[in-house]
Amino acid sequence: MASPGGEARIDSLSTEFREKRTVWEVLASEKYIKWLLMIPLVVFLGVFAFYPLFYCLYMSFHEAILVKAPDFIGLDNYRKILHSLPFWRSVGRSALVVVVCVGAEITLGLGIALFLNREFRGQNIVRGLCLLPLVVSPLAMSLMWKYFLEPQFGIINVMLSWIGFSQVAFLSTSPGALYTIMFMETWKWLPFSIFVFIAALRGLPKDAFEAAHVDGASSWFTFKKLTLPMLKPFIMIIILLRVMWLIRLSDPLFGTTQGGAGTEVLDWYIYRIAFIRFDLGEGTTLALIALFMTIIIGVLLFRQLIKALGTAR
Amino acid sequence: MRRVIFWIGVAIILFVFIFPIAWIFVTSFKGRTDIMVPTRLFFVPTLENYVYEFWKMPLLREMKNSAIVTVLSTAFVMAVSLPAAYSFARFNTGEGHLLFFTLTTRMFPPVVAAIPFFFVFKSWGLLDTHIGLTLLYVYFNMSFATFLLYGFFREIPEELENAAMVDGYGRISIFRRVIFPLIAPGAAITTVFCLIFAWNEFFFGYIFTRTVARTVSFGLISHWGSVVVQWGPMAVGVIFAILPTLIAGWFMQRFIVRGLTFGAIKG
Repeated sequence: MASPGGEARIDSLSTEFREKRTVWEVLASEKYIKWLLMIPLVVFLGVFAFYPLFYCLYMSFHEAILVKAPDFIGLDNYRKILHSLPFWRSVGRSALVVVVCVGAEITLGLGIALFLNREFRGQNIVRGLCLLPLVVSPLAMSLMWKYFLEPQFGIINVMLSWIGFSQVAFLSTSPGALYTIMFMETWKWLPFSIFVFIAALRGLPKDAFEAAHVDGASSWFTFKKLTLPMLKPFIMIIILLRVMWLIRLSDPLFGTTQGGAGTEVLDWYIYRIAFIRFDLGEGTTLALIALFMTIIIGVLLFRQLIKALGTAR
Repeated sequence: MRRVIFWIGVAIILFVFIFPIAWIFVTSFKGRTDIMVPTRLFFVPTLENYVYEFWKMPLLREMKNSAIVTVLSTAFVMAVSLPAAYSFARFNTGEGHLLFFTLTTRMFPPVVAAIPFFFVFKSWGLLDTHIGLTLLYVYFNMSFATFLLYGFFREIPEELENAAMVDGYGRISIFRRVIFPLIAPGAAITTVFCLIFAWNEFFFGYIFTRTVARTVSFGLISHWGSVVVQWGPMAVGVIFAILPTLIAGWFMQRFIVRGLTFGAIKG
């Protein structure tokens, strides 16, 4: 098809052709279209992600309480926070919440998943019903439980009184309230780990288990040596996501303790400093420190996940 | 015998997850005195809580506000995320760095965004408006939607597109005839997730609205004053706050695990 004019002729033809391209054709070429499609996202994220970040960075070097004009104070905010006991206490509480909730969700979730992992009649209905707590709004969930756990007429306390317990003030005593909140969180999120594990168990290769069965391995041995290692990536996914979400725990507190009774977790502490005490300098510094800690934990866990994915294959 | 034990176990699991939700439905029909006796199973059902919520409290307006903001923000998110996710999946735009950054915006404490935007919104008169809240919901749903859609786009084989291009289709007709039909189910799932997340959001609504654009979640916590808690009306509020998401969740059940793991696990 090419004329005998040689490469030069083809070149000139193609440049001629290129000159005639419309603006749209240029934009539709791969080089441009990929960024063109990205513009809305980049603009929006640029404004909504970078602006708050730089504002916080700026304010964190200033003393700004209420509407007073900000005063430059260097690193004083950082120094003050890193030496403040309530801050470290709130970090400790968040860490406790993360450890207890994630631990409970993984052990209970795996147990229930192993139990439910079989074909039975009505399994889709059971599955659908069990998933419902996941879509309940965290605030509505906490108000629901607040009613059930009411000291005088909450149904839990009435049931406890039947078996001879006295009233328990679940949400107003010091260590208890935090554990009550952990219980609510676990109730809401347990279905998540159950169904991640069920999906994982259904995808396990059957032949390895048949071989183990033929070799007469005990079910505990099979579980420990076969199932658990193969589930490791899934356990890591649950840990990664749940840790990220639990660090940001604050909605259920609005409905229940409002940070009282020893339940002031990290995000509630930031909220209290920034929006109740209205100390913007310290509040923004706290927010940045919290963001920094979250990213570090996120990256560390993400690496573990990649590693787990590598060994499982 | 084993089957009996199995079904007892299933019953216990179902009871734990469903009873609280069912019980709050029952409670909403209880009168003032019956509410204080939670174990009373047989009572005269009353609609007084519903009447109170819909006529005395602004629940209807709150639901309208939540619906407006939820739908608007989701439409906006999809309009921004669909092209971006397509670009990420098809051209690997930004070599993964931009995608990773998009994902990290979800790690920001909501307070980080709330403080600066509170002042910006105040000076622009966006506090307590639907538009202001919509923008914030777009911000907090966008990274999730982009990442989930990215996964769905990756499942569409590139050859399909190339074949269409060889056949002389332009970008727009490829998108309309080839990509769109294939991404539609994934886009629908992502849309429902955005709707659920936006409807359930509380913190931004609480900080950025007062009366005009007040959301359902905000309305819920106004039921307890300093002394008295209005349990009955609160139960009604809780029901209307969770009913839309429960219905959505029931129809989405096959995709919930997939969505919540950002597409990592096909449940």
